[in-house]
Amino acid sequence: MSSPSLATSLRLAIAGSRSDRMRIALTAIGAFATTVLFCLAASVAFIGEASGPYRFDVLNQPGLRPGVIISMLALTIPTLVFVGQCSRFGAPSRDRRLARLRMAGAQPSEVARIVALETGLASLLGSLAGAGTFFIAKRQFSTEHVATITTQTELGGGGIQIDEVTTTVRLLPTDVTFTAWSIVLLVAVVPLLATMFSSIALRKVIVSPFGVARTQPTAPPTVLPAVLFGAGTLALVGWSTISEALDLHRRALPIVVIVSFCFFIMIVAGLITGGGSIAAAAGHFIAPRTDRPSLLIAGRRLISAPYTSARATTSVLLAVFIGSAVQATREAFLVGTDPTDTFYADTFDLLNVVLIAAIVLSAASLLVTTTEAVVERRRNLAALTAAGTPRSTLARSLLAETLIPLVPSVLLAATAGVLSARGLFGTRVETWDPSTGRSTWLDVHVPLVETATLAVGAIIVCAVVSSVSFGALQRSVDVSELRTAA
Amino acid sequence: MTHPGIASPEQSRTGSMPRESADPSPSGSTVLSVRSAVYSYGSELALEGANVSLGRGEILAITGPSGSGKSTLMLVAAGVLKPTAGQVTYNDRIISNENERQRSRLRRSDFGILFQFGQLVPELTAVENVALPLLLSGVKRAKARAAATAWLDRFDVADLATSRPPEMSGGQSQRVAAARALVTEPTVLFADEPTGALDTVSGELVMSEIVRVAREAGTSIMLITHSAKVAAYGDREIVVRDGRTTESMIDLEATGTNA
Repeated sequence: MSSPSLATSLRLAIAGSRSDRMRIALTAIGAFATTVLFCLAASVAFIGEASGPYRFDVLNQPGLRPGVIISMLALTIPTLVFVGQCSRFGAPSRDRRLARLRMAGAQPSEVARIVALETGLASLLGSLAGAGTFFIAKRQFSTEHVATITTQTELGGGGIQIDEVTTTVRLLPTDVTFTAWSIVLLVAVVPLLATMFSSIALRKVIVSPFGVARTQPTAPPTVLPAVLFGAGTLALVGWSTISEALDLHRRALPIVVIVSFCFFIMIVAGLITGGGSIAAAAGHFIAPRTDRPSLLIAGRRLISAPYTSARATTSVLLAVFIGSAVQATREAFLVGTDPTDTFYADTFDLLNVVLIAAIVLSAASLLVTTTEAVVERRRNLAALTAAGTPRSTLARSLLAETLIPLVPSVLLAATAGVLSARGLFGTRVETWDPSTGRSTWLDVHVPLVETATLAVGAIIVCAVVSSVSFGALQRSVDVSELRTAA
Repeated sequence: MTHPGIASPEQSRTGSMPRESADPSPSGSTVLSVRSAVYSYGSELALEGANVSLGRGEILAITGPSGSGKSTLMLVAAGVLKPTAGQVTYNDRIISNENERQRSRLRRSDFGILFQFGQLVPELTAVENVALPLLLSGVKRAKARAAATAWLDRFDVADLATSRPPEMSGGQSQRVAAARALVTEPTVLFADEPTGALDTVSGELVMSEIVRVAREAGTSIMLITHSAKVAAYGDREIVVRDGRTTESMIDLEATGTNA
């Protein structure tokens, strides 16, 4: 038997219900945003000797550009997570549709091809639109303005001459040239990643002609995440001791960076794998003890599906962890610098903007997950409402399901971030005091207010985003849902 | 009105010959009545002046073909839907004039609702599912669990107390759902195709247990079904066709309540 033609597979891929169309649209939007960010990062990477100068000084300093690129790429993590979440939006009903196709004679590989085509096509459209928008905007914003910028010239003997120059500048690197292969790569990377993700996600679903079965995840691990998180944090807290023991300060900078980065990765891995464990543990603690129906439902949901909310908030936790580390690093950098030189402060402010954007983007995936959870349970929710369960109870249950595992995870992420940065950059900084003509040691303050603001802000953003899904709840408890098959 | 104890289909009915019903009041005191109810889903008219009365302790079967409006009639009677015209009265209280919050509170305290499937929270254990309405009414956890366990025992599923719905058979799930619908000791139980998703044997077992427990507690039942066998558990039968109610001639002759 021959396989269906590409056109038939395409028709089957896009033939679906409202939630299928919504999934395709959201996947395309996610791909759009990610491609724009990739293009922005690429434009910074392509800044050459003849490029510039730019309004943002950080773009004029070759040594700081890698940091800008890394920040841009870091922003793509939440958008890629968003694309991943979107590609599973309404997936249960799609999986049932696929089961009917299997019943009609489709092979497992053909079903997988339909899913890959749907995600690939949606993200390709988004990527093309994103790249197109980027290049149109690049042309629109390529005008030059007159501005005063700071230039640094290295002098012999290690000195630096700083001058203020009034010249024509561009706001952003709109003068860089993209090579043809780089454009192809930028357009292709998101569809490739999204298709890969949806194919991997489908591996957890066994679509047979008789229905859909999901391979049940095992109970979340508890020891491994704790060991990774604890060991990584302790290693960075005791960085000076480790550095001395391993004689790291005598070694090349890349080795030092790689070793410290490994510890960071351990913390991140602990946070990611531990999210499900925290959710399950919180559920096990709350469910048998509470008198409140909303907490009972939320607690049992956390035990039953610990990874659902943990997965949605992973990128929020990453943003909080990195953000807290940035706040502590900022304290260490600024404590000994001239208060009138705002370069470092401006750079850290720019990083904070990137972090806020990352948290907001991460929260968008949370919205998709919570809405999906409501839509998936709509018949049950409608039956509960019909039997007299107040909608406010169900809404509180949804909110609790998000916040119960999030709050301890955010606190852990924030604490680990601050401790890690303080371990790396020290709690005291040696600085030159011109009034005494001697070097002095200054204490690096713990950025309590900044870190607390970041942590609480992230929790509030998630709470607000989660509350938006109450709109879906209002529709889902409609009595017409009682006619929907379970 | 007859109360045959543990009801069997043969005890309560012999057939059905529908006729137009203007005021189908049963004998005994009326606990719930629907008068000239009209309801539409958008432009689709589901009820066109339906009338139903339910006596205290009575089991009323509402039958009719698919799409006739019988489930809508039940939802209107239970205060889940607000009729666009007409009146729903419960114990002299006009609930069709009340807002959703008031009706929701009433459903929680005085009504029990049982659907064909999907009403149990899949993540909760059987005992937690049954205890849920009590917790919603502010009963403390220990007391709610004790009452829930007792109700599970009445439906002979106490051994499933710690099981979750996905681990139960259809019949077991429906017994747990029935226990949940009755745990608040409601005045009226609304049952929409309660055995529709079960095989014949399980359906009969579940139905006879619901009827037995309801008889013991003096609970009235509005039973929606398209099955003549299930309808036979009722003391009386109302037929819904095209959104209008008619009542069985034979039942009326048997009870002698309506001229």
